[in-house]
Amino acid sequence: MMASLPFRQQEFQEEQMTQTYLTDVVRNAVGTECSRTVSYPIEASAIRRWALAVYWPEPAPQVFMDAEYAPEDFDPFAWGPASYESLLEGDDGSVVVRHGINERALGFPEWKFRAGLNGGMNCTYGVRMHVGDVITDVKSVGEYTERQGRNGLMLITQSISTWTNQQGELVKRTVNAGIRY
Amino acid sequence: MTVKVGDELPTFTRETGFANWNRYAAVNDEFVPIHMDDAAGEAAGNGGAFGMGNLQWAYLHNMLRSWVGENGEILSIEVQFRSPNVKGQTVTAKGVVTAVDGDVISLDVWTEQQEGVKLAPGSAKVKLGK
Amino acid sequence: MRIGDELTPFTRRTDLENFNRYAAVNDEFLAHSMDDEAARDEGFPQAFGMGNLQWSYLHSFLRQSVGPDGRILQLDVQFRNPNLRGQTLIAKGKVIAIDDGVAQIELWTESADGSRLAIGSARVVAHS
Repeated sequence: MMASLPFRQQEFQEEQMTQTYLTDVVRNAVGTECSRTVSYPIEASAIRRWALAVYWPEPAPQVFMDAEYAPEDFDPFAWGPASYESLLEGDDGSVVVRHGINERALGFPEWKFRAGLNGGMNCTYGVRMHVGDVITDVKSVGEYTERQGRNGLMLITQSISTWTNQQGELVKRTVNAGIRY
Repeated sequence: MTVKVGDELPTFTRETGFANWNRYAAVNDEFVPIHMDDAAGEAAGNGGAFGMGNLQWAYLHNMLRSWVGENGEILSIEVQFRSPNVKGQTVTAKGVVTAVDGDVISLDVWTEQQEGVKLAPGSAKVKLGK
Repeated sequence: MRIGDELTPFTRRTDLENFNRYAAVNDEFLAHSMDDEAARDEGFPQAFGMGNLQWSYLHSFLRQSVGPDGRILQLDVQFRNPNLRGQTLIAKGKVIAIDDGVAQIELWTESADGSRLAIGSARVVAHS
């Protein structure tokens, strides 16, 4: 079926098939803490809007319309953090990586992908989030693996987010899986 | 700044498509099928999805605001939506001074696409900041 | 909750309206979720929703069973098939174990024809 692809895509696929993503620098990065991001204080309207969006077109539960607490899946970093700090040596943090980790700052190769997909999430929850809470997110490198798929060699990655509130209590720990090809 | 009839304002330009239209829908709660879905836009006779007039309204305000400065005022603006902002267009907001009456400046304003076809012609009155 | 209980399903017909509303709150304006053409460039037949939206729907699904005073302790999900625009998505699950008041749930989302889009598990404490 390769002959039926447009030339640029065929060349791209052939290039991908000869690579491995898992160089030493990638393997050795597992466990590295990469960034610390702090949210703005959580606002009641943000909780309401989130709940309205995820329950649409049905009404959202009253606890969220009253902003008694935030839905567990709420993201106080969605529209940008209050501060971002890189934890990687030699990285001044001027490139803010909002989702995932700064692979360039880790020294990973400059891969080129046709697509990036959400592979899944695994999350363990601690205390709830409330209006006024300030959340800190520390991101670290999880496992990187690869496998051949129908779209060529796929890179499957994990990034780990650990959230705590202003009292240092664990809010949640999430492992995010990404698939790129 | 000394203003005279015929002066052209610095322009405000954006490449437009779903990325802008949907962000605008997000803040204005304007999730309308003709602005999100090619099939709906086609059914409306525009060949595909197209941007909301309110976004061009916002772009015209951005252009005027930049020219009048932080202490200036946009006194009034009126616009008609003549041609749709379809996918793949680069939209530029433009203006030209048509009258100066004391500190009130009248302008013709409009948005146009990359080939100069006017999308939304109109007029505005502003005061420059001191 | 008891072992074997099937939780009340959570159903949403999904299309650009849902995807874009979620994009709005999560600042997640992905071309393949907004535009059929962009999705086809990535090898999909049409625009598809973000995994994060299914993640939220699964939370909404659990929440309606555990009640406002219940707790979702843990959720693990893998995305197996895309949520194509126009699909009716149904979140389902059942209680497979209970240990010291904590219920283990097997859960998934499926489309109207029964194809599973996302699969996973959760641990919850119900409080009716």
